[in-house]
Amino acid sequence: MLTGQQKSHLAIEASQVVKSYGDLTAVDGISFNVGYGEAFGLLGPNGAGKSTLMRMIYCRSPLTSGTLRVVGHDVRDEARTIRGRVGIVPQENNLDPDITVRENLLVYARYFRIASREAEERADRLIGFVELEEKRDVRIDALSGGMKRRLMIARALINDPTILVLDEPTTGLDPHVRLAIWDKLRVLRQQGLTIILSTHYMDEAEKLCDRLMIMDHGHILVSGQPRQLIEEYALKTVLEVRGVAERELHAGGPGVIAERHGASHHYYAATVDQLAPLIREFETCETYLRPSNLEDVFMRLTDRERLT
Amino acid sequence: MLALSRANIGDAARVWRRNFDVYIRLWRTEIIAPIIDPIFSVIGFGLGIGSLVAGNVTGIPFLTFIGAGVLAFASVLRAVFECAYGSYFRMVYQSTFDAILCTPVEAESLTLGEITWGMTKAFFDGVVVLAVLWAFGAVLSPWGLLAPVVLTVGAFWFSALAILITSRIHDINHYNIFFAFVFSYFWISGTFFPIETLPKYIQWLAWAIPITSAVDAARDLMAGRIGLRLLPGLLYLIASSLVLTELAMRSMRRRMVN
Repeated sequence: MLTGQQKSHLAIEASQVVKSYGDLTAVDGISFNVGYGEAFGLLGPNGAGKSTLMRMIYCRSPLTSGTLRVVGHDVRDEARTIRGRVGIVPQENNLDPDITVRENLLVYARYFRIASREAEERADRLIGFVELEEKRDVRIDALSGGMKRRLMIARALINDPTILVLDEPTTGLDPHVRLAIWDKLRVLRQQGLTIILSTHYMDEAEKLCDRLMIMDHGHILVSGQPRQLIEEYALKTVLEVRGVAERELHAGGPGVIAERHGASHHYYAATVDQLAPLIREFETCETYLRPSNLEDVFMRLTDRERLT
Repeated sequence: MLALSRANIGDAARVWRRNFDVYIRLWRTEIIAPIIDPIFSVIGFGLGIGSLVAGNVTGIPFLTFIGAGVLAFASVLRAVFECAYGSYFRMVYQSTFDAILCTPVEAESLTLGEITWGMTKAFFDGVVVLAVLWAFGAVLSPWGLLAPVVLTVGAFWFSALAILITSRIHDINHYNIFFAFVFSYFWISGTFFPIETLPKYIQWLAWAIPITSAVDAARDLMAGRIGLRLLPGLLYLIASSLVLTELAMRSMRRRMVN
């Protein structure tokens, strides 16, 4: 899906990006790069600055300071060009309720100055891609939540973008619908589309993203490949002990990281053997031994005060 | 840099076209409202009050005088409603503006598309109301065909003002205050009686509101009185509309791109 000459070999180059609203600094000096064809995830608690950062990428929030280049263009003075090459799926669906599914795509194509015959071809192809053929001529209020979300994705692809930006693509959807959307996003990734997505679902980030970045308070806490982050911050295995609000956190022993999360204790270790003494220690409690995941990384790194 | 210079006519036309497409889809309901209201306005004002008024007002038959007022009121008010409630719905409840601003269309072009759409609705309704007035015999000259055009310029001023207000309010109830002013403007802008009957200082206020010139021009066209007398007023109307458009564009950018 790469079209024309790339001015830069990076889809996104952010350097010291700052966004302030009065006294509030939503994004506080962030630098990162995303390569073409990468699937890049943004994680972080509510208010971490993810949505603001995404809005800056598609030129809906002007930078307070720093530089941000998208598909080789500066967001400060080439917004029009950038938005022509980016497909956007915002957090809230904003389909046009006054017109049909197919018309939603056609009207949207006009804003990108796509000739009407080409627009019709693309609309029909995308309706097929998101499997909405049977709903082609119905109005938006006749669609389920999952269908609306799929149509949002189809609409974001109407301009054949280089980058697809998705702000919480599957929030509030049932597990079947989420799987269906993940399948579509995987196909797009295989086709070489650069994908930037924010999510609160760690499984989503782990399954879809080549690389991700965890943010909090407008800063980057960590970034890297999901597996690498898990190994670095949550080791390999975790023993979760539930309902132990009253009990002292056990020191854990060599190589074990002990943490309290609400009424639970989490003990992270590289091997199950290291956790064996703890399993005996908490024999009478409700315990779970499982592989570490991204959620553990997230819980360890983000501000717990705010989460409770 | 002027916000007006950032507006792209092609993009504005595409925003306009979206509204036009939806309007065409609903044309039956859209066309009935502008017919019913003026029929009863003309019956009420023209035949009812007209029977109490002897002869001419400012040199033209009362039915023509009041017909021009009914025409101005119906057509310009349509633009105000469109750019107040209509645009607010698209901006807040339907997030249509959000969707549009995810494309190459900029806030200034969006604003221009909405303003010109308000004007278009005023023009459509103007034509329908003019047909009703013609049937009642209130249109005395073929020049009257241009009356909806002049009122569309009046609608330009009010559409730009309404979009400026829309870009600033965060509660739909706040339009009540705006509409209180809008209706008050109509009462003193020579819509339903000659402003010469008002005290001098209110006359000055009336002429300061640019819509007065549009009503005046529409009335002269319907009566077949053509002259350059109204040119300064219309130039004032256009100039102040452009200023309001500039302000509306800036304000809409602040609201939507932040």
